[in-house]
Amino acid sequence: MSAAPGEVVLEKASRRFHVRRDRSRTLKELVVRRGRGAGEATVDALRDVSLRVEPGEAVGLVGRNGAGKSSTLACLAGIVPLDSGRAECGGRVVTLLELGAGFGEDFSGRENIYLNGALHGFGREEIEARVEDIVAFSELGEFIDLPVKVYSSGMFLRLGFSIAAHLDAHVMLIDEILAVGDESFQRKCLARISERMEAGATMVLVSHDPSAIERVCRRVVVLDAGQVAFDGPVAEGLLAYHRLLGVSEGATRSVRPGAGATLEVAELELLGADGTPRGVFRPGEALRVRMVLGSRGPAERVVAALEVRDQRGETCFRTDAAVGAVHGTVEASFAMERLALLGGDYDVAVGAAEQDAPAGAWLDRVARLTVAPVSGGEGVADLRGAWSVGEPAGAVPVGRRA
Amino acid sequence: MFQYRFLFEQMVRRELRQKYKGSALGVLWYLVNPLVLMGAYALVFSVLLRVADVPDYPLFLLIGLIVWVFFSQALLAAAPSLVTNASLVRKVRFPREAIPASVATVQLVTFLVMLVLVTPVALAVRGTLDPALALLPLIVALLFCFVLGLSLAVAVLHAHYRDVEPVLAAALLPWFFVTPIFLRVEDLPGVDSRAWLGDLLQWGNPIAPFVDAVRDVLYAGVAPSAGHMAYVAVAGLLALGGGVLLFRRMERDLAVTL
Repeated sequence: MSAAPGEVVLEKASRRFHVRRDRSRTLKELVVRRGRGAGEATVDALRDVSLRVEPGEAVGLVGRNGAGKSSTLACLAGIVPLDSGRAECGGRVVTLLELGAGFGEDFSGRENIYLNGALHGFGREEIEARVEDIVAFSELGEFIDLPVKVYSSGMFLRLGFSIAAHLDAHVMLIDEILAVGDESFQRKCLARISERMEAGATMVLVSHDPSAIERVCRRVVVLDAGQVAFDGPVAEGLLAYHRLLGVSEGATRSVRPGAGATLEVAELELLGADGTPRGVFRPGEALRVRMVLGSRGPAERVVAALEVRDQRGETCFRTDAAVGAVHGTVEASFAMERLALLGGDYDVAVGAAEQDAPAGAWLDRVARLTVAPVSGGEGVADLRGAWSVGEPAGAVPVGRRA
Repeated sequence: MFQYRFLFEQMVRRELRQKYKGSALGVLWYLVNPLVLMGAYALVFSVLLRVADVPDYPLFLLIGLIVWVFFSQALLAAAPSLVTNASLVRKVRFPREAIPASVATVQLVTFLVMLVLVTPVALAVRGTLDPALALLPLIVALLFCFVLGLSLAVAVLHAHYRDVEPVLAAALLPWFFVTPIFLRVEDLPGVDSRAWLGDLLQWGNPIAPFVDAVRDVLYAGVAPSAGHMAYVAVAGLLALGGGVLLFRRMERDLAVTL
């Protein structure tokens, strides 16, 4: 039974990689050590994975590094064979696993359009019919007739994506490419992808960038250790993915500059409304930061501080409070009724110092805070509100004109 | 099959471009190589050592040399071709045979250019315009089958065992010297008393009958013996069939191996 055009099927698919053997051997090794060593490491990239994508659907594959995302794409594309099971894409398949794979360095951009089209199984006439659209979409202008070796990486990306997006495929397999390029081109790519989907094309997208997945896909498959950990709507899928990341990354880490300080933060936890510690929150949820301050000597006037930083290290929020005297340990907490951050990863850093101590490296312990992405806004601060559109001032309603 | 003809054409163009990029003489370099070899060997064997008592000896040498250069350059270029194109193999699905085949085809183009230049010279100097010349396209086609089959084999073998290329490079030099390029096997002084050695040199070396056949037609103006024709036909088709089979068997995990 073969897949219908646009259908993507993975049925009980398994693939194991032999870490040692799959690197190529030399003849000497073949002669000296016949057969395989017993201590050879294996990695199960796919373990009995079943997946079905309907024509016109867009599915995002997420997971930690090594979870089997790229292997899944390579198996679907037929580049890497399965050990057992079935992988099939119905109709014409275009892969965008690496930008510029197979570009002839000394070929012009235009010549590479033909070469790339040919690699995906298209004939001369089919490519000729699309060349002008591709050139226009890529915005390369006169560069299209220069050898691609003079291209910047951004131009390379634009050409690669333009070609793939215009070879009208039934199935597009895309690996981690939407994260590159400037914002306006990214938006254009996403628009083009939506257009292709409306025309009935199926997308399978691998990305580390949840916002790219969210913008394109309604369905997310979370892979973990070669198995499907979640398969369903995008919001819950990304939450599951973030939970997975939170588990693997340890709750807090110490950034204490050195020994000798009398004050320290011994414990740091992020707690949900029900009082259980976790690392992933939704915007608008209640969040309490609980910390235990410790002192080695008597400290009379202690100030505790808390800072939230985004991934680039920019401060989103900062606050401090006088804690009073600390002898031994003191528990303190900072409660937010409503977490006003949008989706992304943040650091919550806390520290304690004596009031008159010199400013500087007093932050002591950092917790990773992951906020699940939601729709309705982009950026850092959760200022989501309601749009309303009324009649512009001074406009005459159409009905009353006559 | 048809849809990939265009791919093959594009791949050959890409190879050609990469090969001749930035060289002022371009394809001429590949014509210079056999000519330089011809001059050196003519000097050594005909003038200095005086072992070669062959009329128009440079021409005799040149015809053997262009066959050899085609054969050896194609194999040397094909062997690392899959490894060089690893990113393509790992990221795009297409018939991987196209890579070594396009590399071998580029060498064929050079060989054909050389042949087109040498043929009129041979006909003029040797007066060998004979109906036997009609066999030349057939012999060249079989030679290409032979070279293509071996190219596929060495490319896929090298992808799995990375010392295939150095072994091949090391083997080609002695192979060159036992191939009847300097003299016909029957003219070698050493084989008169040892018939088995003559047979071994003649039939044990699969490229030797190809050299003989091309030289028979171009230099001697006679049709190759039936034995030669049968040999080149079988060798060409066997090599191609074997090369394709081996490639199909070993290409399965190429994307992982590379």
